[in-house]
Amino acid sequence: MTPVIQTESLGKTYTRRFSSRTVQAVRSVSIDVQPGAAYGLLGPNGAGKTTFLKMLLSAVRPTRGRALLFGQDALDPSSRCRVGYLPENHRFPTYNTGRQMLDFYAALSGQPAAERKQRTGELLEKVGLADRADDRIGKYSKGMLQRLGLAQALMHRPELLFLDEPGDGVDPVGRRQIRDLLHEQRAEGVTIFLNSHLLAEVELFCDHAAILRQGEVALEGRVADLTGTGGYHLAAAGVQESVRTRLASNVADAAAQNGSLHFRFPDLDQANQAIDLLRESGAQVELLERSRSTLEDVFISTVQETSEGARS
Amino acid sequence: MTLAALIADTFRESLARKIFLGFWACSTILLLLLTTVLNIDLVEGGLASIRLFGQDVDRGAQLPVENIVDLVLGGIAALLFSAGLFLAIFAAAGLIPTIFEPGRIELLLSKPLSRTRILLGKYLGALTVVGLNIAYLVGGAWLILGFKTGIWKPAFLYTGALSIFTFAVLLSIVTFFSVASRSSVLSSMAAYVVTLVAVVAAQHEHMTPMLNSETPRQALRLTYWVLPKIFELGDWSRTLMEGKAIESFMPLWSSALFACAALLLAARLFESKDY
Repeated sequence: MTPVIQTESLGKTYTRRFSSRTVQAVRSVSIDVQPGAAYGLLGPNGAGKTTFLKMLLSAVRPTRGRALLFGQDALDPSSRCRVGYLPENHRFPTYNTGRQMLDFYAALSGQPAAERKQRTGELLEKVGLADRADDRIGKYSKGMLQRLGLAQALMHRPELLFLDEPGDGVDPVGRRQIRDLLHEQRAEGVTIFLNSHLLAEVELFCDHAAILRQGEVALEGRVADLTGTGGYHLAAAGVQESVRTRLASNVADAAAQNGSLHFRFPDLDQANQAIDLLRESGAQVELLERSRSTLEDVFISTVQETSEGARS
Repeated sequence: MTLAALIADTFRESLARKIFLGFWACSTILLLLLTTVLNIDLVEGGLASIRLFGQDVDRGAQLPVENIVDLVLGGIAALLFSAGLFLAIFAAAGLIPTIFEPGRIELLLSKPLSRTRILLGKYLGALTVVGLNIAYLVGGAWLILGFKTGIWKPAFLYTGALSIFTFAVLLSIVTFFSVASRSSVLSSMAAYVVTLVAVVAAQHEHMTPMLNSETPRQALRLTYWVLPKIFELGDWSRTLMEGKAIESFMPLWSSALFACAALLLAARLFESKDY
């Protein structure tokens, strides 16, 4: 199956005008995003996320590598026919009403007038702006603009959605509304590429994620796999002190709680060896489960690795 | 469809920024003045009296009615070519750089249309805003004076078309500098400077004998040939109103060539930029 997004060593180096100084915003990024996936792009400020996203949309010209959308060169405007985009810090023309704004951007996407008219009403209703549809958008709040922006991205029924900080400035109710709308899109098979600082949001919504650091992919994979690397949690009762001491050398973490001892082992082999030892000694194994890290833990450890690496 | 959407959007922007309204109000005031202030009474096809603000105009010179019409229409054409174009550039310069605003350009570029098309749509939008106003003023003045005097001067309509053409040429300069600098002030200043230099360079035949070295003479001639022929285009209005024939169409095609080159360079520059 052709990936919806495919990048091969995509990179961007900015050269300052009237100077030989260069800035490598994106070093080399190669990713594949399959149809129907919800892909989260994470990274600290300055990691190159926005530049990478802009290269996919050809607002920034790559200096190396290439990007394909639906198997077509991303620099070719027709590759964006099936793409919807909600930019970060968007500035929609305030002289338009909500309805005019949706109609204008959908017309630029080549949607026929009759279809635009029907879809505008439908989407304004969905994002809860039907009663403000004919107000100038200069009068909209940040949250309303964000919801209108999302409606704009969905107008021409795209198969690929690029969302740059979609929850930015939106209250929890609005965020929920946006999330529901995105779930609906996913159910319809739309591929979603999400660039967000809200790690919980990405963890909740995305099935794949990549963490960029210093313009390169530091970590990439299924969210379940990325967060499933927290080792194994073992709880046992009646553990003799001598066994506890023997186990101490292998465990990542140990703590006493409600009369039981809780261990965390880095891998399954070590957890199994501990179970054998505990049983031989007559201890009761109460629990063995895979520990999960949050995406935030994974993100912070990945980013810290970089800063520590940079310091050393 | 995409070009029409961009033109309509530019039109909406000009309405919201009161640019279109400002032009329309100026044109309407001029047309109302023409309707109410100037009264020409004809008796059996001859001029009986001319009244300005209700006062009889001294007809010591015994001007025929056709000359009066020529005078009024010539005055409007001259006004259009000077103050009209100056104002048009000033106002339209604000319509082009707005698309390069961060947060707006990214969204435009994410649509399946080429950058050249975006730029062309915006250019044509600004041209439509000004063109419609010029057509309103010229057409209105032509109709008012035609009905008042029974004299219909189609040449005046050509001067309207000429003003729109000259504006289109100047707008290409605004477009190029808008892409290069994203500044409406700088791009309108560039158009004024080019106009000024072009008008001065149009006098190259009178000026070159005064220069004592060949290099500045060549530079002056080159400047004249490269820049649009604003002076000659303005002069054409007078020639057309006088009913004389145009001797050479060089000012027209060379100015059109200049505008095309400026737009092509603007499109090329736009294509190469990162946003």
